[in-house]
Amino acid sequence: MGFADVLDSGKFIITAEVSPPRGTDLSGVLAESHQLQGLVDAVNVTDNQRAMMRMSPMVLCHRLEEAGFTTIMHITCRDRNRLALQSDLLAAHALGIRNVLAMSGDYPTMGDQPSAKPVFDLDSVQLLQMIEKMNNGLDFQDEPIDGPTSLCAGAVANPGARPLALQLLKLNKKVSAKARFIQTQAVFDAEVFHEFADVMKSTGIPLIAGIIPLKSARSARFMNEKIPGVTIPEDDMRRMEAASDPVSEGLEIAAETIARIRQHCRGIHIMPVGGQGNTRRLLEMCGLD
Amino acid sequence: MIITRPKTIEEILTMLEKFAPSPICVVGCGICARKIQTGGETQVTSLVDELRSHGLDVLDGKMVKHACSATSWDELSEEVPALAQASALLVLSCGAGVSLLGRISGKPVLPGLDTTSIGGALGDDISEGLCSMCGECDVAIYAGLCPKSGCPKSQVNGPCGGSSDGDCEVGGRKCIWARIFETLDSRGLLALLDDTRPPVCHDRRL
Repeated sequence: MGFADVLDSGKFIITAEVSPPRGTDLSGVLAESHQLQGLVDAVNVTDNQRAMMRMSPMVLCHRLEEAGFTTIMHITCRDRNRLALQSDLLAAHALGIRNVLAMSGDYPTMGDQPSAKPVFDLDSVQLLQMIEKMNNGLDFQDEPIDGPTSLCAGAVANPGARPLALQLLKLNKKVSAKARFIQTQAVFDAEVFHEFADVMKSTGIPLIAGIIPLKSARSARFMNEKIPGVTIPEDDMRRMEAASDPVSEGLEIAAETIARIRQHCRGIHIMPVGGQGNTRRLLEMCGLD
Repeated sequence: MIITRPKTIEEILTMLEKFAPSPICVVGCGICARKIQTGGETQVTSLVDELRSHGLDVLDGKMVKHACSATSWDELSEEVPALAQASALLVLSCGAGVSLLGRISGKPVLPGLDTTSIGGALGDDISEGLCSMCGECDVAIYAGLCPKSGCPKSQVNGPCGGSSDGDCEVGGRKCIWARIFETLDSRGLLALLDDTRPPVCHDRRL
């Protein structure tokens, strides 16, 4: 079943995120991803996330598709102009990749190549429009391409961004640009997510809530300070600091969050910081395995 | 106004060693660089002193009215005779001023400043990056606050995911989209932002 069918099916959706290697060897991430077999509806593959240089996600998506996974390839506007975006989308399609997640991308100074030229020729709304055109057999200049693509494109949102009205300004344009689903930044505050889900309800777009199980008080503090748009509540920080087994506490917090937001979203997107071993554990804790 | 930043003395010394025959003349610009104190009289005098203290043969340090605009080299040389006598010019102006002086003088010209953006000055308050020179100004839509220059990612359809409580994800900056939104909201004009904006046509600048 393709991801578009999963979206249409009404089932509770589970996706998980993996990252390409910072080198040429895919064996580690393929072995790691193997743990997700039978557990998730799709695997998201990141695109130089946090502006840190890694292998192209297209290659890892291709290998994961060969291994039987449905993949969602992240594609950012940071590193490609409109020529390269179209070129990569055609290439991904030719390799059997059918789902993409369109985003602007973190600014280069956030990552390990801070002096890179930031491209941002298009923004994520315009990228979604480009994909819609390609799905209709046209390039961005409205000239015919040799056969339409059939790409299911999603977008990202940050339920915690304030003011929310400002966030919605762009998000509504993403919906108008035919985004098929929304995957959100990590959710830690269920109330904040409920408010966001309420506002988005009228659009009917499937919301897949981002979940990051915390691993330690230190990494929680790092995320709070360094990851744009992530805010970890004080209460969770205190629990992580007091925990004798921080990994289990982090999974417990994540499971509690999932329980609180389950009725308000179409699915969850698990972004483990580090390995995938805990993804199964978390889903078991939630009865979602 | 063109925004410039001084190069370090080490950069200037290296450049002079590589590219400039002696003697040189240091040239300040009477418009933007003077206003933001990167290429005014004070900066010219102090750079001349510093270069001389490093043993360089500096003929003089002079101001021109506007480095990016001149009637002719002859007229400029009459106004500032040291320009004609120098073998090379070290120019404290924007890149346009350096280029123009190089073109009309026929001498080697060296930039003493780095040019970073188009900005403005309100008294001593200098604003950087007010215009990106995109070639299709549509700033009326954005309450006069250009997101193509004011947002590091040049987002024209709303803020990116890194905008948080009015702050930009790029260190120390305010999110221009928060300001655009507040300003249009206060004027009851938020509907101006309803339409999805197309990307910039870069060929319009050619």
